[in-house]
Amino acid sequence: MFEIKMNDSNEIILSGRFDSSQVVTANSVFEKITQSAVVDFKDLDYISSAGLSVLLVTQKRLNEKNQHLKLINLNKHIHDVFRYAGFDTIFLIE
Amino acid sequence: MKSKFKRDIQSLTDIFNFIEKFANSYQIDGSISFAINLAVDELFTNMVNYHTENPNDILISLTKQVDRIVVTLIDYEVEPYDINKSKEYDTTMPLEDRKPGGIGIHLVKKFVDEIDYTYQERNSKITLVKYLEKHHVRD
Repeated sequence: MFEIKMNDSNEIILSGRFDSSQVVTANSVFEKITQSAVVDFKDLDYISSAGLSVLLVTQKRLNEKNQHLKLINLNKHIHDVFRYAGFDTIFLIE
Repeated sequence: MKSKFKRDIQSLTDIFNFIEKFANSYQIDGSISFAINLAVDELFTNMVNYHTENPNDILISLTKQVDRIVVTLIDYEVEPYDINKSKEYDTTMPLEDRKPGGIGIHLVKKFVDEIDYTYQERNSKITLVKYLEKHHVRD
């Protein structure tokens, strides 16, 4: 089960499993982002390269306007995925 | 444990449940089961995306041995694709030069310890090995 929603502070909250079957759902939110935003991974259990690609495309689009995503509360396994893909150098992770 | 899964991205939930059941029955460490999940997800997704018209299901089997988990995926009646010969993904590229393609196979190579590929009678078979004791990442 994957869920994506925005809270009152315009933070994007992810939960569940973010795999290739959830790309359309995720894009419905990420494609609407036009300025810097925080993405909270606190309740996200899993991410695959399909999820990374959604974030990459969003980050590239925002970067052209000097905006960016900030990723927070990644669990250890998901942090490893970002590190092994070299994504820890192209995202601000806290 | 083995099972056939419909060639559809929506099968990923059933595959996750299949791996979770296996991991629970053998009390597999969370880091190991995450690695197996990711590797199987990436390879299954590739098989679905590269052969969309193929009507055959994909067979996944999981075996626990003394010091390792052995995973096989068999894709029937397909063209060959040896993931060991895939192009290396450059993890040092700046953001503006990055493209989505190639990340999945790169992650599979990082998360498992051995990858073997065979192609016989138009069937692709990928065998993955994940050691139980070493939680290291391949160079």
